[in-house]
This record gives sequence, structure tokens and C-alpha cells, in this order.
Amino acid sequence: MSQTSEPILQIKDIAKIYPGEGKSTTVLDHISFDVYKEFLCIVGPSGCGKSTLLRIIDGLDKPTSGQVLFHGQAITSPSPKVGVIFQTFALIPWKTVLGNVLMAISSASIQKEEQLKIAQKYIQDVGLEGFESSYPKELSGGMKQRVGIARALALQPEVLLMDEPFSSLDALTAENLRREVVDIWRDPAYPTGSVIMVTHNVQEAVEMADRVIVLSARPAKIVDDVKIDLERPRSPRDPVLYDLADRIISKIS
Amino acid sequence: MHVSRPSLRKRVASSSAGRTVSFFTKIFLSGIAAVAIVALIIELLTGGLSPNCKSNPLDPLCIPGYAVRTLTRMTIAYAFALGFALTYGIATAMSHRASHVLLPLLDIFQSVPVLGVVPVVFLIILGTGSNPPVFNQEVASIILIFTAMAWAPTFGVIAGINAIPTDIKEAAHAYGMHGARYLRQIVLPAVFPELVWSSILAWGGGWYLIPVEEHLSFGQPPNQTQVDLPGIGRFIALAALKADLGLALFGLIVLVGIILAIDRLIWKPLGVRAEKYKYETVAAPRTTATRQSSVVAGVRRYEDRLVSPVLTFFKSERSYAARVLEITRLKRIRHITERLRFPERIGRIPLWGRILSYAIFVGLVILGLIVTIMSRSQSIESGISLLATDVTAFELIAITLLSLSRLVIAYVIALSWTLGAGILIARSQRLSRLLVPIFDIGQSIPATALFPLVVILLVDPFKNSPYLGFTLNLASVLLILTGMQWYLLFNIVGAVNGVPNDILEATAAYRVRGRRFVKEILIPASFPAILIGSIQAWGGGWNALIVSESIGANVSVPGLGSFLVQASSREPALGAVEIYASLLVMTATVLIINRLVWRRLLRKADRYKFEA
Repeated sequence: MSQTSEPILQIKDIAKIYPGEGKSTTVLDHISFDVYKEFLCIVGPSGCGKSTLLRIIDGLDKPTSGQVLFHGQAITSPSPKVGVIFQTFALIPWKTVLGNVLMAISSASIQKEEQLKIAQKYIQDVGLEGFESSYPKELSGGMKQRVGIARALALQPEVLLMDEPFSSLDALTAENLRREVVDIWRDPAYPTGSVIMVTHNVQEAVEMADRVIVLSARPAKIVDDVKIDLERPRSPRDPVLYDLADRIISKIS
Repeated sequence: MHVSRPSLRKRVASSSAGRTVSFFTKIFLSGIAAVAIVALIIELLTGGLSPNCKSNPLDPLCIPGYAVRTLTRMTIAYAFALGFALTYGIATAMSHRASHVLLPLLDIFQSVPVLGVVPVVFLIILGTGSNPPVFNQEVASIILIFTAMAWAPTFGVIAGINAIPTDIKEAAHAYGMHGARYLRQIVLPAVFPELVWSSILAWGGGWYLIPVEEHLSFGQPPNQTQVDLPGIGRFIALAALKADLGLALFGLIVLVGIILAIDRLIWKPLGVRAEKYKYETVAAPRTTATRQSSVVAGVRRYEDRLVSPVLTFFKSERSYAARVLEITRLKRIRHITERLRFPERIGRIPLWGRILSYAIFVGLVILGLIVTIMSRSQSIESGISLLATDVTAFELIAITLLSLSRLVIAYVIALSWTLGAGILIARSQRLSRLLVPIFDIGQSIPATALFPLVVILLVDPFKNSPYLGFTLNLASVLLILTGMQWYLLFNIVGAVNGVPNDILEATAAYRVRGRRFVKEILIPASFPAILIGSIQAWGGGWNALIVSESIGANVSVPGLGSFLVQASSREPALGAVEIYASLLVMTATVLIINRLVWRRLLRKADRYKFEA
């Protein structure tokens, strides 16, 4: 959380332009920021290109110009040190919970038995013990996202990217899962240093983040970079959070 | 409460009711009126089919008259199909008890290979006379088109009624909608979208028959029955017989023009309209939403594939990328045919319903047999005893197995190459640019067009060689293959392209690549599509079988198809018995394979479907 050290990720002058017939659409307008060992949220109006930015950071999408550096190295394709959690969970319907988690680590050069051990550990950590052989269809939304989280954690990633991870869940489930994700991130037993979460829920962002980057409507520019220096654990109903959220919302609209 | 009630009533009533019904009838009536008016004008302008057209049927000036006649036949058959679909479908969906029999019976009907019905319709309507009355010919032709059209809309109606959400049913009940009002305001609007989609399928099936049913001969010369009806189909058939490529192409272009015009004027606006009457389900997640195309595009694409494979042939100016996209949208067709063919309830039919439906079907076949034989003033006993002495049950089973083995061989070949090609096309832009146009042309060539080539390559050179049997079988398998492979290929390409974005991103993010990607993602993801493609392919295979086993006079391989063709040239009573017997055996085989193989696998396929 100290920003004097080297940044883990450097987002350098990223622009994304979709060429169209006649006129092209600029989605991301030269965005730069550094990411340290911190919980970073990116908020902005819907459709502003937040998710595109996240995909570029993971190397799933290519920027029109600019680059993303991970410990000084340019990212061009997904790295085994970065885990991703999707809004729609993105679980393979014909794989069991265990199979979905194993999928993340089976391309690494780890022994089969070791892979199984790692997968089982993280399935336990997210509270899905006993559901290893269930299929995604048999699980509730909250449980599906737990599988998504276990799959990302099983990589033992240094950076965790989350794309609206709670917006497909009901309010109560989302609140619980938010707290658990923050707890996991704070737990020194996990190697994950940086979390980048994209959300349009400002309240959620100020509750979870150390720092909130606010994007404008398309073409997206950084309009604010807000530090949230509040004690953890935080209560989602803390009045200070409401004030912060109000300030950010006024910047967006 | 007082305020909300009337407004809710209004919503229920106006959002989905009256307007559709009136719109629906308006469209249909105006469609018929338009056809009638155009027909009248053309008839007046050309003075009917001039005697010239009778003596010189290939005169291009006769084309408008031909078009009107073909279109009128299609429209009449469609009107009957629509009436049948609505009555049968509503009866099935509204009465639980009746559905126990009606649903499996419908399933049996649609399992009968359409081309297998041709001899039966001939036998009943046309009798044995070498020159049947024109009216009977017209009736026979309309019945044939009807058999190709009726099943899809019927399943459409049932699917539409089954899709009415419970809350709407409860609301209708709460506001006292019963009987005819419920039918008009809830059922018909709910049925509308499915009916539009399935009508496109139905017309596709009808167009498929047009080049066949207007010019047909049946039986061997002494007993030959000839259907010769003025129409576009006969024009093309005659031109092809005379090997006049120019005229054949001209006829083809006119046919395509008519299909296109109907598409633009009727199906496209109806398809757009239909989308409004769909009940909203939970909003689709963004990742899949980006892949959905507009209805308009859907209707067109739908038609491209099913109504007129020829169409794609003429669209060479389109970019290759657009063609690839076109194929991927086949996804839509897959889902629809899947729904039409396998209504969920069919698995939950009680035993008595199944037995009764089989009994009704066999009863109908026997009734048909009696009518046929009576009309030929022959006794049934003599026919059956002739069958018993001429063909033993053992022989029927043996030739069925022979035909089946040809189908299986063709299927295995088709599946293995299409799976490989489908994955390659979907994975590599460059390969798809190269292969898709080739496949496109390939699938637009009707299997029968390959006959001369097959005879020249595989039959003629071996006339006196001991390998003739082998080459004939090879030819038969090849022809069946042409009837099977495209369904598989296009379904697989559609499925591979239809893998949702979020799954693709997740696999990329977790670096599942290359072989692992094919094995763990692509092949399982195409599993449901392979099943649907297989069911369609087997349907196409059975149709091809009937023609492929009997390549020419005295050049045939033993099997159900050649048996059916030979039966038509036998002594009338025996021929009739044989035709019905082989139709029964064929239908039974199709049904058994559906039950034992496809339906079982389909139940397993559920796991391999992406959540909507």
C-alpha cells in the first residue's frame, strides 16, 4: 500500500479507437495510471469503456496505442500471474466446480496431484467444500461467482482483475461476497497484491477500494483519482462512504 | 388497487391481443388476395395458358402463367397446413389428455421421409391410369406440398402455447378470459412468432419439392403414371431434361426471384412484427447480447439456408467475411428446429398414449392400403399373400439393415470430415475465406445433379467387371453423403462460432489454448449442434437413400430405397402392399433410431448448452 515503491502495473497512455465506416469511435482517450499494492476501483458511467480497459490490462484486447507494463514488461497476452473474475462468471457448463478451477492451473507446469491439491484448497477457501463435483447449472449465482473467485485464486496471481463481479448477484449475496473478497485480499497468506475492480456501483467502489479512478463518459478520460484512507474493516453503511460516493457521482454526471 | 386494475387489464389486452389477430388475418387475407389479383392480371394479359404453352412448354413467355400456378399451389397447400397446424396444435396444447395421443402421433408423422410418401400419394390419388385427370394431379401435388409443410407450423403452435408464461395465464384467468376470448387474446398472439418462423421452414420444405412434384413419372412404361402440371418446377425439369442450360438457369432465376419477393414482402415484415409478441424473459447478459443479430437478418439468413440453397450461389458479390457471419447465424435455426422437433413433453407421454398413437398410425397405413387396393379392384388377401410369397419378412429386415449400414457409413464419413472442417473454419479466418465459398457452392448442388457424374465415374466403367457391386455401393454411399454432410457442417460451424464471448475470454485469460482448447471447449460446445445436425442429416440421408440405391434402370443395390422404387413397377396389388410395407419399415426404423440414439443423447446434451 505504500506508493513509494515500484508500481506493479503501469498503464501508459492507452487509447482504444474502433474504426467504423466513415467515422471511428474513440472509447478510451489516452489513459495513464500506475497500480501499486492496493485495491483499485475503476468507476464510470455504463458503456464508457471500463471493461475494455480491464481487458487491455489483461492482454485479452489490444490497445490502439499505448501499453501496459507488468513489472516493467509489456503485456501482450494473458499472464499466468494475473487472475480474472467475470461479471457473467464465465464457467464452462460441462465442467464440474473442480474442473472449472483446474482449468486455470492445468496449463502451468505443475504435477497433476499438486494441481488437484491447489484446486481443492481454494474451493474450500471460498466455502464450496462438498460441491467439487457439482455442475455450474446446479449452483446459485453467488456460488457460481465463488467458483469464479476460486478459479482466479488458484493461479495464485499477483494481480486480480474483476469485471463487475457482483452486479449479477442479488444485494445480500453481493454484500457478503464483497466482504469476503476484501478479507481474502487482506489475508497475508494470499500472494495477491493488487486488485483492479471495474464497477458502475460507486457505493461498492468506495466501500472496497483504497483508491478510486473515475472515468468520464465515452470517450473515457480520467476525471478524478480519489484516495480512500478509511480504516478496515469498513461498514457499508458508514456515513463517510455516502459522502465520498456523492462526491464521485457528481463528477460522473 | 382501484387504479391499477383497469390499467393492468388494458395492458394485458392491448399489448398482446386484438391487434395481432386482426393483423394476422389481414396479412394472410391480403396475401391471398394479392396472389389472386396478380394471377388474374397475368391471366388476363396472357390470355391464360395459351395453347402455345401446351405444345411448346419451354416458351419463356409462359413463365408468368407457370409462376402463378406454382405459387397458387403453394398458397393453397400452405393454407391447409396453417389450418391443420392451428387446429391440431391448439387441440394438442389445450387438452392435456388429447395431447397424450396427438403429440406422439405428430412425432410419427414427421418421421416419415417426405419422398417416401410420394408413391403412396400417387397410388391413392392417381390410380393406375396412364393419363390421370388434371384435377387429380393438382390434388396430388398439393397434398405432397402439404406433407412437406404441415409439421413445422404444428410444432410451432404447440411450442408457442407452451411458452405462455404462467403469470400471463393467471392474469388472464383472474380477469375472466375464457374460451374464444382467451384463444383470441392470449393464444393466437403467443403462437404468432413461432408460426412465422416455422412458416418460413414450411415454405422452404415446399420449395424443395417444387422442382420434383410438377413433373414426375411413376412406374415402368406399361403401367406408367405421369404427373405433368404447368409450373416453374416443370419448366426447370423439362429444360434440364433437354440439357438446355440457358432455359434451366432462366427458370431458376425466376424461381429465386419469386422466393426473394415473398421473403421481402411477407416474411421480413412479419418477422419484425413477430419479435414484438415475444414474452420477455430475463434480460440477456451483455456478452451474449453483442452476438445477437436483428430479426430481419435472422429471417433472411434462415431463408437463405433452407428455402433456397441456390440463393447463396448468386450472392458471389458478398464479402467472404459476411458469408462466414451468415453461417454463424445458423445458430438461430438450430435452436428453432430443436424446439420444434423435441417438445419437452414428448418424453413424458404415458404408455397408453404412445400405444394408441402407434395404433392410429398403423391403422391409417392399413386404411390407405385398403383404399388403394380397392380402387384397383384387387383383393387385399391376394396382395398380402403375394407379399408373403414374394418377399419374406426376413428379406425386409435384411434390406433395411443393408440400407442402414449405408447410412451409417455415410454418416461416419460425414461426421469426421465436417467436425475437422468446422473447427478449422471457425478457428482460422484465412481458411474460412478459402473453404466457405467452396462449401457454399457444394451445398447448393442438389444430390440428383451428381447422378450423371457418378454413373460416368463409378458405374459405366465397371459394367462388366466383378467390382460393379462395390462401385455401386460406393456410389450409393457417396450420394447419401451429399444429402447428409451439409447439415452437420453448418450446425458445427454455427456452434463453434456460437461459443459465448465470456467463455472465450475466460479460456484466453487462463491460457487454455491449442489442442486443449479444441478438446475441452470446442468439441463439447458443438455436442448439442452435432446432435441436431445429425438428426437433420439422417432425415436428409433417408430422403437421399430412396433415390441413391436405384441409380438407373437395372443398376441398383439391394436396400429399402431400391425396393420402394421397384415396388412401383410391380403387379399393382403386390406393388401397393410392398410400398406400404416399406414405408412402415422405414418410419419404424427412423422412430427407433430417434428413440434409442438421438433422444437419449439429447437429454445428455443439456449440460453442454450455454446458459442464456
